[in-house]
Amino acid sequence: MTGAAPRFEMRGIRKAFPGVMALDGVSFACRAGEIHALCGENGAGKSTLMKVLGGVYAPDAGEILVDGAAARFAHPAAARAAGISIIHQELSLLPDRTVAENIHLGIEPVRRFRLDRAAMRAGARSLLARLSSEIDPDAPARDLTIAEQQTVEIAKALAVDARILVMDEPTAALDDVEAARLLQLVRGLKDAGVAVVYISHRMPEVFAIADTVTVLKDGRHVATRPRAETEADEVVRLMVGRPLSDYYPPRPAEPPGDPVLRVEGGGNAVLADIDLMVRRGEIVAVAGLEGSGKTALARAVVGADPFLTGRMWIGAEEERPTSIRVGIAHGLGLVPEDRKRDGLALMQSVRDNGLLARRGLAGLLARPLGHAVGADAIDGILAAVDVRAVSWEQEIRLLSGGNQQKAILARWLACDPQLLVFAEPTRGVDVAAKAAIYRLMRDFAGRGRGILVATSDLPEALGLADRILVMRAGRIVGERPGGATEEEVMALATGHRSDAVAALGAA
Amino acid sequence: MSAIAAAGRSRRRAELPVPAILIAASVTGFTVTALATGQSAQLSADGVIAVLERVVALGLVALGQTFVILARSIDLSVANLVSVGAVMASWLMQGDPAMMLPAVAAVLAISAVVGAINGLLVTRFEINPLIATLGVGLVLQGLLSASFQNFAGAVPESFQVLAYGQVGPVPYPVIGLFVLAGCAAFVLRSTRFGAHLYATGGNPDGARLAGIRTHRVTLAAHVICSLAAGLTGLYLASRLRSGAPWVGRDGIYDLESIAVVVIGGTILAGGRGGVWGTLAGVILFGALDAAFTMIGIDAFVKQVLRGGIVIAAVAAYAYRTKGHVA
Amino acid sequence: MIETTEPRPRTTPRVVPSPLRRLAAIRPAYWVLIALLVAIAATSPAFLEPQGYMNFLRRAAPLVILAAGQLFVIVAGGFDLSVGSLITLVVMASSLLIQGDPAQTWWVIALVYGIGLAVGLFNGLVVSWLKVPSIITTLGMLLALKGIALAWSGGSPQGYLPDNFRDFGRLTWRGLPGIDLLPLAVVVMVAAVALLWWLMHGTVLGRLLLAVGDNPRAAELAGARVRLVRTIAFVVSALSAVTAGILLGGFAGVSTNVGDGYELQAIAAIVIGGAQLLGGRGTVPGAVAGALSLSALFTLLNLIGLPKPLRDAAQGLILIVAVGWSVRRRRRGGA
Repeated sequence: MTGAAPRFEMRGIRKAFPGVMALDGVSFACRAGEIHALCGENGAGKSTLMKVLGGVYAPDAGEILVDGAAARFAHPAAARAAGISIIHQELSLLPDRTVAENIHLGIEPVRRFRLDRAAMRAGARSLLARLSSEIDPDAPARDLTIAEQQTVEIAKALAVDARILVMDEPTAALDDVEAARLLQLVRGLKDAGVAVVYISHRMPEVFAIADTVTVLKDGRHVATRPRAETEADEVVRLMVGRPLSDYYPPRPAEPPGDPVLRVEGGGNAVLADIDLMVRRGEIVAVAGLEGSGKTALARAVVGADPFLTGRMWIGAEEERPTSIRVGIAHGLGLVPEDRKRDGLALMQSVRDNGLLARRGLAGLLARPLGHAVGADAIDGILAAVDVRAVSWEQEIRLLSGGNQQKAILARWLACDPQLLVFAEPTRGVDVAAKAAIYRLMRDFAGRGRGILVATSDLPEALGLADRILVMRAGRIVGERPGGATEEEVMALATGHRSDAVAALGAA
Repeated sequence: MSAIAAAGRSRRRAELPVPAILIAASVTGFTVTALATGQSAQLSADGVIAVLERVVALGLVALGQTFVILARSIDLSVANLVSVGAVMASWLMQGDPAMMLPAVAAVLAISAVVGAINGLLVTRFEINPLIATLGVGLVLQGLLSASFQNFAGAVPESFQVLAYGQVGPVPYPVIGLFVLAGCAAFVLRSTRFGAHLYATGGNPDGARLAGIRTHRVTLAAHVICSLAAGLTGLYLASRLRSGAPWVGRDGIYDLESIAVVVIGGTILAGGRGGVWGTLAGVILFGALDAAFTMIGIDAFVKQVLRGGIVIAAVAAYAYRTKGHVA
Repeated sequence: MIETTEPRPRTTPRVVPSPLRRLAAIRPAYWVLIALLVAIAATSPAFLEPQGYMNFLRRAAPLVILAAGQLFVIVAGGFDLSVGSLITLVVMASSLLIQGDPAQTWWVIALVYGIGLAVGLFNGLVVSWLKVPSIITTLGMLLALKGIALAWSGGSPQGYLPDNFRDFGRLTWRGLPGIDLLPLAVVVMVAAVALLWWLMHGTVLGRLLLAVGDNPRAAELAGARVRLVRTIAFVVSALSAVTAGILLGGFAGVSTNVGDGYELQAIAAIVIGGAQLLGGRGTVPGAVAGALSLSALFTLLNLIGLPKPLRDAAQGLILIVAVGWSVRRRRRGGA
């Protein structure tokens, strides 16, 4: 790593989409052996810039230079051939193909006109070994957990022998232990002379490994600083335009009221011995590693993948929902963790998405914009939660992730539930919208309701919630009050001793 | 080991070996019916070969359709293309052996062009494959019916060998079907193109990001499918000794080839399945057809049963699908 | 893969587009229809007389009703390939059962609606509960219904339909104040379309159909009864097919292939009208415009004297062009 010429350079990149200027003359460069962090809100243009580099989009203006020579990539194949490898945010494995086939996708080795499966298997094994993983190369990808899938994605990117590696939120699905392992690997790549672009919202990670930090905002370049000359607060301020404090709303002074949700001995195929309680006015978080059962618990409570044993009380009434409809009818609601897959009707308008839950329960022959469906209130609710859209008739797929999430929240507020369950409430949501959603959650709880939040974002759980339930292997293994330390929670979640975990996380 | 994965693994049953099950069902159904109706003569090699021979045409078309469905596309123009192939072949040959090779070349060339047009409409113009191929099929049908109202020309004796020649007791067409199926299976399993085809169908965006030229792959799949249809037309011309504009439609090759591919385990969303399943599905159709004939079922009632079987065969393993299906 | 950016906040959440933009935003189907109607009138001025256009509407009525009905299934994300065979079965069954005796007409009509209901329920239940894709299910139903029609009739048309049945397709009132001619078929069409329009755009059912077609998982998590809604769509499609069959029996006569090809024509009409295959987008007026466009196209080609086979070719071309245009429009407009 020297002050040599950049491994690649992007100059004056401009890219517009219908109605939106995604990149407005952005320049960016990275040297060999440099880890360059790229930060910005959702919609700042980070992913778009990297997609231009990766040949997914053609820029409207500007140029790309690789090792000093001009390059134009009309297709991702051309970028890959130039040694550029990108780990995109969206997991793109083929579920019906094996791990080895996925890793070698597009670069399958061929021997005498046939696919060389032995080479594929060996190659996969060695790449996975570099990641300290023992995943079986012959396993179909659909059998893997999300964390294992992310590992395979990384192996896939490494298989190309990349000279430029772009990682877009690579730790989104990884828990802290796996993330630490990944950061080690990235350091190894830097030592091997790879130019690494690291896109992340997580400041601790950025400041653990980056050499340089660049901030984009609204499609424009804001600042580029060496890591040593800046700090997390300044970066967030450049991204967002406000200081990091007053991010989580303050906890209420009054003690919580009667229980709005109580579960005793709840269990199903994935969960066991679930005992929990949420009181009116409380926000209770559920934390744990990937696969510990947090999302399963969220779905079980509302009846989407229901409990098969145990008892449950909603308010004063005993009711253990056997389906989501029953859950909704008794005052529950679920904001799902993957809104594109489970939450949004993308081609429908913002208003139609907002009315979906009311309509789901209404009589089929009722007027769709009638009183019975609460249509008169929805516009007000959408405005109250501050959904930013050109109009309520706009197709919801055109909104940013944060606004989409707020619209889903509005959908449930229109049903006036007693308890709202959230799974990963701020995944893929920009900083400003996150703060807004936290405020909305606190307001909701403050009106005598309860909130249960399943989240893998540990700082979020600690900052937002009044109590944190920790899960491991489908069971609740402990509880901590809000404001506890990350080490305490991680110790419960992993069952490790806390100093061992700390050792992994340090450089 | 996470809680979810553990539960998932214990819950997951082994993947159904669909081709084997279908063959087993075919064999059982056929044998039982033959014995029950006292026609055990059917259980000879001749009887079995007769069953296979019935389904050669559908089998050829279905092989091609398998490629297209794997790519997450579909081809509704095959029936009309079969007609075009048959008519063109006999019309160009006009009974003259010297014209055999040129006619075959012409039919294959036309088929390739049609396949390329289908592929372009679907990839470059992003028209839904159902609509694109439906439209192309209608155009083909219209042009063909406007030019030919009846059998056109004739096929020379030497060409009829294609349909009627034999190696020992096994007719050429049956051998040809299995050979082509074997080639197709090899391409799918052991070539780069095959791997890319599965990727393009299974996750088109992911395939593209991995550097696969998905448009080219889909185009190639459509060309393969159309070539198979053209080949079927040639075979039918050889068998019927001449080609008429309705041979394709009469055989309901479009819808039945789709049904057979899906019954064979290739899902409509692409990315999973293969030719052996398709072949097994075709054999099932043939075996059931023969069984119905043995029982003496009316041709029209056979049709009703065929419809029921299509649904039942897919329902047999589709009900395990989680989530909703459109 | 469209990148999204948070739009700058506006003071009012409503935007009124300029008149020119609104014009461009109107579905292509309407332009196509107008163009075709103008072409027909230019070729044959008699079209502008009530005799001309009312007859056109009368002949277009079955396809219009069929398309508006199948729209429900398409919008919910599926396909109904069985409607053509259902039409054939309705016509054949009616003639077989009525045997020319006018007294039998009414109970037979009730019976064929019952058959339609059963077919729709079967399709819906198999797709929603047995998870068989609708292409396969309705394809199987297509084969089965055709087989039933042929088996029942022995392969050739039997009996004939009495006047009171055929009136639905043929009867035309004359000398009414204001309108010279009014075919009963047109009245039936208007009534059916009005009913379907209300169901799709004036009820919760219609909105849920769109949501289910768009994202069934999201709809279910929001409390919608996805399976029930889908089944209702298939029932609506089947009942529309029965209605279309009754009209067709009136003027097309009894034959073993009276319904052939109608399912694909209906899908073509719906797509020309702007609906999206695999669900989430579509309107009844659009489907009606698409069906009228297709009928207008056939009429025009007939007037020009184009032989029937070439009409099929023309239909194929129009289909490709119309859909290609919609796709380009959507990519460009982003809405």
